[in-house]
Amino acid sequence: MTVFLKSLRDQRRGIIGWSVGIAALVLLESAMWPTVRDMPDLDAFVANYPEALRKLFDLDNFASGAGFINAELFSAVLPVLFIIFAVGRGVRLVAGEEEAGTLDIVLVTPVTPARFLAEQAAALATSLAALGVVLWSTAALCSAAFGLGVRPLDLAGACLSMVLLGAEFGALALAVGALTGRRAAAVAVPAVAAVAAYVLFVAGQLVDAVKGWQPLSPFHQALEGGPIGAGLPGRYLWLVAGAAAVIIAAAPVFTRRDIGAAR
Amino acid sequence: MDAIRTWGLTKNYGRRTALRGIDLSVPAGPVCGYLGPNGAGKTTTIRLLVGLLRPTSGAAAVFGHDTVRDRERAQRLVGYLPGEFVAYPDLTAGRYLEHLGRLRGGADPSAVARLAERLDLDLTARIGTLSHGNRQKVGIVQAFAHDPPLLILDEPTAGLDPIAQREFLAMVREARDRGRTVFLSSHVLSEVEAVADRVAMLSQGRLLVTEAVDKLKSRAQRRIDLIFDTDPPEEPLRAVPEVRSCTVAGRAVHLMVEGSTARLLQVAAPHRVVSVVTHEPDLEEIFVNYYSREVPQP
Repeated sequence: MTVFLKSLRDQRRGIIGWSVGIAALVLLESAMWPTVRDMPDLDAFVANYPEALRKLFDLDNFASGAGFINAELFSAVLPVLFIIFAVGRGVRLVAGEEEAGTLDIVLVTPVTPARFLAEQAAALATSLAALGVVLWSTAALCSAAFGLGVRPLDLAGACLSMVLLGAEFGALALAVGALTGRRAAAVAVPAVAAVAAYVLFVAGQLVDAVKGWQPLSPFHQALEGGPIGAGLPGRYLWLVAGAAAVIIAAAPVFTRRDIGAAR
Repeated sequence: MDAIRTWGLTKNYGRRTALRGIDLSVPAGPVCGYLGPNGAGKTTTIRLLVGLLRPTSGAAAVFGHDTVRDRERAQRLVGYLPGEFVAYPDLTAGRYLEHLGRLRGGADPSAVARLAERLDLDLTARIGTLSHGNRQKVGIVQAFAHDPPLLILDEPTAGLDPIAQREFLAMVREARDRGRTVFLSSHVLSEVEAVADRVAMLSQGRLLVTEAVDKLKSRAQRRIDLIFDTDPPEEPLRAVPEVRSCTVAGRAVHLMVEGSTARLLQVAAPHRVVSVVTHEPDLEEIFVNYYSREVPQP
């Protein structure tokens, strides 16, 4: 697991930076809760929002701590941050190494392309999990400190959904890097896929005709019914399966294609 | 068994053909130079040999292991220095070499230390802060560190200072004396001459000839300028059998010499030669020269 350990070591500063950022964000949002809760006409305030926004961010539950944190953090900001983190890592770990030229030597050792890809995927999953643990512990502490009243177990499910959502698109970045060896493609494909998935999710919330397609969106799989309060839905398995599928599909192509020919 | 063997090795990049049907055989033991001008297909051949590229057609084998079907086993036998060697800039040279040692299942740390000392490479410096030449040294150390049976080195001396170059050439000779096979590419004849026993010459994706270095040397044409203290002895110089052409400009004589320069210098010496300038033979010229003889024009 040498490639894996090296990647984790390379990421340690990045993970620390992201952890501090996410912890600060959670702290700031949570600290606003006592003020929001004590607003005398909170319900009326929320009712003034357009119906679309109320649906999208589940604002009808805004007056509860869980609803507040769901709307403020887990519905948009955190998913985007986890996806950016994961795609950024995913791009670097395969396409980045190949474009830089450092991959050449590594692949002329007993390390096969498939093993390299698998170890990098494991490194990505581990760093995402670390970020998820930081998110969970900060959110649990803040919930207790500011009286949001979110149970740690519910929070754990929501944090897991962020990790899995990031893993899905990070895996896509790894896979496209393994397929093409190009950073640009490894950024563009997951970015376009994430926007498309989000549009499908939002359209599904708002337009009944699209509702049937909504389960295809990783955002639906991760966010539907919460994510805080959704428990541990079986839908999460689709995210795991999606991430695994793109990596497994890319491995044989990576094994057979020319390395460094795109440079 | 041959250390390297290729059969009709061909590589296309899209519509461009980089390598056309190379049949190369490098016996285990001697140092083989792979010589050709830039863009001839040297790097493509080497990347095919180490398993980073797949042939469009044909095949290559390292000690009998096919570089596609049996890639991992072939790669275990190879120490590889890429033409553009890139290491992780944030690691120190020592940590990087340690990392590669682990990927290869454990290299001898004392071997790394010994090689680094020979090349005067500071293992504690971060690779990102190293000069081009020092990075190249890191590349050379990683190729030699596990003492593989076959060293495949793509333009190994690029960027090295003369002292490191000399040390490197000594390392190559020692590897040969230990029974290792060295296959190194270059676009400079003198470099290959200095160390190789055999030379394979490549031009525009075709293998022109595989030949003992001594034979190649005897056929190479070199440009030599002699500067005299007095008027140059033009006629005696022209009479030297190896001299192909001779032009006089004042006290300077420009000569084209094929093969040994011994007789020429013998003739010139009594005439108060002030300076001798030899020019590296142009590879293309050697190739054209060679080709026109090997393949009689109709």
